[in-house]
Amino acid sequence: METVIAVLSWFCLVTGSAFAIIGGIGLLRLPDFYTRMHGGGITDTLGAGLIMVGLSLQAGLSLITVKLLLILVFSLVASPTAGYALAKSARTHGLEPWKREDDR
Amino acid sequence: MFAVTMAAVLVTMGLALTRAALGPTLFDRILALNMFGTKTVLLIAVVGFLTGRPDFLDLALLYALMNFIGTITVLRFLRFGHFTDEPEPEEP
Amino acid sequence: MSRLPTLGDQWVVIPLLVLLVCTAITIIRMRSLMAAVLLTGIYSFLSASWMLLLDAPDVAFTEAAVGAGLSTVLMLATLALTSRDAKPPVRRPWGPLFVVVVTGAALVYGTLDMPHYGDPDAPAQRYPSPSYVERTAAETEIRNVVTVVLASYRGYDTLGETTVIFTAGIGVLLLLRGRARRMGTREREKS
Repeated sequence: METVIAVLSWFCLVTGSAFAIIGGIGLLRLPDFYTRMHGGGITDTLGAGLIMVGLSLQAGLSLITVKLLLILVFSLVASPTAGYALAKSARTHGLEPWKREDDR
Repeated sequence: MFAVTMAAVLVTMGLALTRAALGPTLFDRILALNMFGTKTVLLIAVVGFLTGRPDFLDLALLYALMNFIGTITVLRFLRFGHFTDEPEPEEP
Repeated sequence: MSRLPTLGDQWVVIPLLVLLVCTAITIIRMRSLMAAVLLTGIYSFLSASWMLLLDAPDVAFTEAAVGAGLSTVLMLATLALTSRDAKPPVRRPWGPLFVVVVTGAALVYGTLDMPHYGDPDAPAQRYPSPSYVERTAAETEIRNVVTVVLASYRGYDTLGETTVIFTAGIGVLLLLRGRARRMGTREREKS
């Protein structure tokens, strides 16, 4: 049972960090602001979620797990809100999305 | 395995910093700042586990709050030009 | 729990400090002031993480709340009253660069004389710090010695600091709000 939890948490941690790096690379390579938000969103939800789940599997049932899950829940609520506010603000500011015809 | 996660989070922080330095528009930089904040939260959690002191999670929670409020404040400032709640007088 | 720098610590601290230096260089080179303010927010996050690694969570709390939250907001409110881009420099700053280099070299030379990190013979560790650590468990119910020193043994100092910072905050807020309202009224009268 111990090894199952350890392997599971190791898997979650490695996958979470892989998603974090993928999101970071997306932030750099994608052509436009609206597309880059996808990169940010991936790191905030999948990356953070998997890493937090992996850490809480390591910690077992304790106050630490409660805190970790609390951070995760808050992050899952706040991060899309901030992303939506950012996109709406960019749209009202007049930032045009990238179209396929644009040469980037 | 914590070392792998920590290295990945640090690399992502570096990438976000590059976007904040490059990003042609202001919104790119705000996005990079937001992502940097969430990565800092992850870094604190992982480093807390790595050094055997997971008491720093309170600080990670505070960072998550600060990050959110900071982003919303910057956006509000961009939209309205001020932070107060006074309603603008109507145009006659 | 031993807090001597282990191999694991260095692998986190060194990249963090490298990121700090990169952020500082980017802030200096940035022409747009709003971008510089946002990068200062990133700098605050990094410094707070580093303070956490140095075992100072209280200072890290303060740095996060003040640097990443409050300071960014105040800087942006100030930017509303001035221009958004920095003016290009008029001439090469050789004089200030020379002064900065000399002062920095003198400071670094001064640190060579400092005792080692965590040295038990350092003047700061001999008096009165051990007495604080010894007396805390006996005299108070609080477990954090830093909090006890700040709030109980040196309570008047904290009271003075809080008064000063509160007054400064109120002054800044009054200045920013009053000025912005007057400027807004003036612009509406013009149009």
